[in-house]
Amino acid sequence: MAQDWKSFEPLLIPDIPNLEKIDVYEENGGYDALKKILNDRDTWSRKSVIEEVKQANIRGRGGAGFNAGLKWSFMPDPDGGPRYLACNGDESEPGTFKDRKIFEFNPHLFIEGSLIASYAMTVDTIYVYIRGEYLSWVDMLQEAVDEAYERGYLGENILGTDVSIDMELTYGAGAYICGEETAMLESLEGKRGYPRTKPPFPAQNGLWGRPTTINNIETLANVPLVINNGADWYGDIGAEEHPGPVLYGISGHVNQPGVYEYPTGIPVLDLINDVAGGIRGGKDLKAIIPGGSSTPPLRADQLDGVTMNSDSLKDVGSMMGTAGLVVMDEDTDMVDVLWRIAHFYHHESCGQCTPCRDGTGWLEKVLKKIKDGEGEMKDLDLLLDVGNQMEGRTICALADAAVWPVRHTINRFRDEFEERCKKSVHAVA
Amino acid sequence: MPEVFIDGTRYEYDEEKDEMLLQFILDQGLEVPFFCYHPSMSIPANCRQCMVKVGTPVKDQETGEYELDEDGERKIRWFPKFQTSCSTRLQDGMVVLTQESSKEVARAQKDNLEFILVNHPLDCPICDQAGECPLQIQTYKYGPEGSRFEVKKVHKPKHVDLGPRVTLDAERCINCTRCVRFTEEISETHQLTIVQRGDDNYPTTAPGEEFDDPYSLNTVDICPVGALTSTDFRFKARVWEMNQTPSIDITNGKGCNIDLWTRDNEVLRITPRQNEEVNDYWMPDEGREAYEQFNENRVDRPSIKLDGDNQSNTSWNNAIETFAEVLEANDPSDITIIGSPHASVEENYAFNKFFNLLGVRNAKFTPHVIPGAGDGFLITDDQAPNTNGCRVINLDEADDTSIQSNVAAAKVVIILSDDLVGREVLSTSDLDNPYTISLATNHSKTTKASDLVIPITCVAEHAASYVNIDGRIQRSYPAKETKYTNRRLNLEMSEGRLDRFGTNFDNWVSEENKVDCLPVWDFLNKLGDRLGLDFKYDHSREVFAELSSSIDELQGISYERMDEENGVQLPIEQKEVKA
Amino acid sequence: MAELSFTQEELDEIERLKAKFPTAKAATLRVLWVAQQKYGHVEPEVQNLVAKTLDVPKSHVHGVASFYTQYYKEEKGKFVLDVCTCLSCQLCGGYEILHHLEEELGIEAGETTDDGMFTIQEVECLGACGYAPMLQVTNGVYVNNLTKEKVDTLLENLKNGNMPEFESMAMPELEKRNQAASK
Repeated sequence: MAQDWKSFEPLLIPDIPNLEKIDVYEENGGYDALKKILNDRDTWSRKSVIEEVKQANIRGRGGAGFNAGLKWSFMPDPDGGPRYLACNGDESEPGTFKDRKIFEFNPHLFIEGSLIASYAMTVDTIYVYIRGEYLSWVDMLQEAVDEAYERGYLGENILGTDVSIDMELTYGAGAYICGEETAMLESLEGKRGYPRTKPPFPAQNGLWGRPTTINNIETLANVPLVINNGADWYGDIGAEEHPGPVLYGISGHVNQPGVYEYPTGIPVLDLINDVAGGIRGGKDLKAIIPGGSSTPPLRADQLDGVTMNSDSLKDVGSMMGTAGLVVMDEDTDMVDVLWRIAHFYHHESCGQCTPCRDGTGWLEKVLKKIKDGEGEMKDLDLLLDVGNQMEGRTICALADAAVWPVRHTINRFRDEFEERCKKSVHAVA
Repeated sequence: MPEVFIDGTRYEYDEEKDEMLLQFILDQGLEVPFFCYHPSMSIPANCRQCMVKVGTPVKDQETGEYELDEDGERKIRWFPKFQTSCSTRLQDGMVVLTQESSKEVARAQKDNLEFILVNHPLDCPICDQAGECPLQIQTYKYGPEGSRFEVKKVHKPKHVDLGPRVTLDAERCINCTRCVRFTEEISETHQLTIVQRGDDNYPTTAPGEEFDDPYSLNTVDICPVGALTSTDFRFKARVWEMNQTPSIDITNGKGCNIDLWTRDNEVLRITPRQNEEVNDYWMPDEGREAYEQFNENRVDRPSIKLDGDNQSNTSWNNAIETFAEVLEANDPSDITIIGSPHASVEENYAFNKFFNLLGVRNAKFTPHVIPGAGDGFLITDDQAPNTNGCRVINLDEADDTSIQSNVAAAKVVIILSDDLVGREVLSTSDLDNPYTISLATNHSKTTKASDLVIPITCVAEHAASYVNIDGRIQRSYPAKETKYTNRRLNLEMSEGRLDRFGTNFDNWVSEENKVDCLPVWDFLNKLGDRLGLDFKYDHSREVFAELSSSIDELQGISYERMDEENGVQLPIEQKEVKA
Repeated sequence: MAELSFTQEELDEIERLKAKFPTAKAATLRVLWVAQQKYGHVEPEVQNLVAKTLDVPKSHVHGVASFYTQYYKEEKGKFVLDVCTCLSCQLCGGYEILHHLEEELGIEAGETTDDGMFTIQEVECLGACGYAPMLQVTNGVYVNNLTKEKVDTLLENLKNGNMPEFESMAMPELEKRNQAASK
């Protein structure tokens, strides 16, 4: 599979002009999956939809890679009260810029997917939470939502059935942490984006204390594909343990950065050299960050045979994350890069719990010291130690996300860090 | 009974209570360090200090039996991460390792303290919280020995007047959010919030708003560091220089349980003492301000009106002689005695009994109520601590008019500890005609209008009981010495570090703060001697013992029971206190 | 300052926003946006207006406003240039763009020009990593693939009151993919 990616025809954002318009979307089979389900509820009971999606093994595209159908199955039985689907369009992880493509080029696919999810989980209200900086894309999605309401895909008695589902769009105001699912719930409730302690999990106690499931935008866009073509068909796309099409966001030192749709399991080096046109200025590759800033960086010499799927990346000590691939050429200063990543997590820590609030700042300040030529050798071990003290000790995973790049960048590029420390004003230490 | 194993010891727990692990650990008298947890508020698990290692036993899917290892011990599946014990629900068979038995846990707690301290100023020597600071204590016990933080700390606003009573030092804040949760969940004024983000976070009010919550000082009590301090108490004393004595708030009818903090016989502050039946961990700010009335404006030595309106101090002998002469010169039917909801049960009883023995009619009292002053929480319409106590001992409850007509008809009026003029039950002119004797703790409009003023002990100086608006009887302890008491001889008085180890030559010792006053019963003993009356109580305890054997509602109640049970609920009708 | 208030039209909009959620508090972020749209900032009086309008504690609105970076807690320039310097933008010259702007306008990041025209801010990842370096103008349109020349033109246009148009980064990727596939 990994080798025949060249013949892959995009599924999430196919090459069809004006697909964002509902007419065009319908002409190309849009909303067929929803109709298929709602017109044949004997075959497509809520449970069997969940089962099909679980079978397809759509792994969450927001970074954690959790089986979406399995997540849906955690929702308790309906008790007559409100139930929510919260769609996470807060993409803010450095290196990630893919969900906005769906809002812009194929919003109805996402709407259809979230309708199917809502049907399956007996959800009555869908909230779409988009990062505040994406106002242009909020407007685009709103247009599509309005169209869907007009055509009767959203609102009361969808397609003449007893199923009624509303979709509300809203947006944030600048806070990476709101991409953490429970922080997003807090933000949706109009509060500071503080992640919640778990348990209780959102399926039990989500928005306003009601059962809630949170899915990434791209994850939901995969759902109609599964319903239209079946879990088996979907499972055959890309890597076995991590199937399906993926929107790869490629950025950094490549000739043709951008978002590309290919199956999972594509060789990293093909992605860089063939898809993204190779390294800028004919330079050599130094390192990559495979799936957004929190995923551990890999040296060029670690990439032979590595493919973009969770097992392969795990084997070399990294992760799939959001498939936001950041490419760095031979001239890249890893100390600078790591400091900038640490600066990001320091800036974005919500400050609620101790190890992250005070640890992210500590990491950044020590890295700044090294970057500014004042580092000492002992600082490198201090950084690793501080990281160990943060990881796994916090309410949410932001601290972990801040620690991984620090640990792995230092370990994988230690020479460079030592070099900098040796040259520093404290060289003897 | 379901069971948990903590550091290898088995404990049973009550499933009904649905308890969290940390609270359970604390209830067993064990310790795990924590900062943000508070038993009366929601659990944010944000300080991360109470991390422990938790596992659950593995059960065979089919048989439901515990699986055993080679040694016959239960197989334990450990949680992959440390768990914050404050937010971990007890589970049958749960195995818990705290810092006591796990090096890993001890290390994790130390790591966490290192983080807390990186942005915390090292200013304990000038911090009011020192000595009673959870962060200081936990750091000594569980913290790192030094700091590896060699970069710049975050700077935030310091000495900010958040409101009239609370001062903020944001740099000391560790973001436990106890104060914010207090205003959201307990006082419900929502005056505080955390602002900014990340390590810039700190609690404050909305811009331009004052933190004037009537319960604001509770946030100072629960602040686990010196971020919130009492503006009034700031820099006045080190906590280890003070004595802490349990007492009862006498500023309203709730009877909040409190501690009086004294140094050199001055009350320097009042803090709430936990009693979940009355005030939980809280008290109103008003009640804390009462400490001033125990120190200042006290009636010190008896005084007597000689000519015109001028009072002058006189000797106890002269005061007793004058008092006795007035009583002898007047027919008991011309004497009106007025008890007080502001005075204790024992004072009212001894007062009434003494004059009853002389043939004077039963004492009257009038409740001190300001309708609408209460808030349904710890502030009551009733302005006095012992209205129900006066009722229990059967004083005659009277309204203002009835008090006025009684005073008008009397030749002698004897008032126990109640500023009837100040609270406009009487006017100064009402007291022009009768010879007025006040037994009082503090100077007031009433004492000013009196012909003879006898200084008596206040709640901070005697052991006495008070019955609150809910019918709960609770008592005080002597906290400050009078001219006639001695901390070292009175076993009920607390001795602080300075009392024990200081000498009379230490500069904190003075006689100045000892008021020249007597307990009501003690004064009446002396007056009884002069009049040849059979009246003698060596201690308020004796007064109460007599009461409990003669009054049904007080049967079986003693100071010991009040002490052991944190006050005793009386079987009295829950009568609304009305003016 | 005179008592601030929303117009009836704005109040209608706020009612519509409140109707999206089961609680008025949930509309806090959105109403802060409405207020910022109107006043150009959410200084304390504006925050209080939001609190009053939604009948939520002032402290709540203050806590929220100070948590989210896109709310201007103080008045900014007419155009706020949010320059991304995070990761991909750093790699592709985000700092050069930032420093170029600082030089051109004679201010440092975080400052506003004396004429009140421009504020420069260094911001975290804006989700345009493939089009780095880039900036966002006053919480609105993204300007992608910046060069110093492009920045100069942008400044010139803004001074003349011409906001840049939304630039769709319309799948040139599709084309590239087709080429790649045909290799």
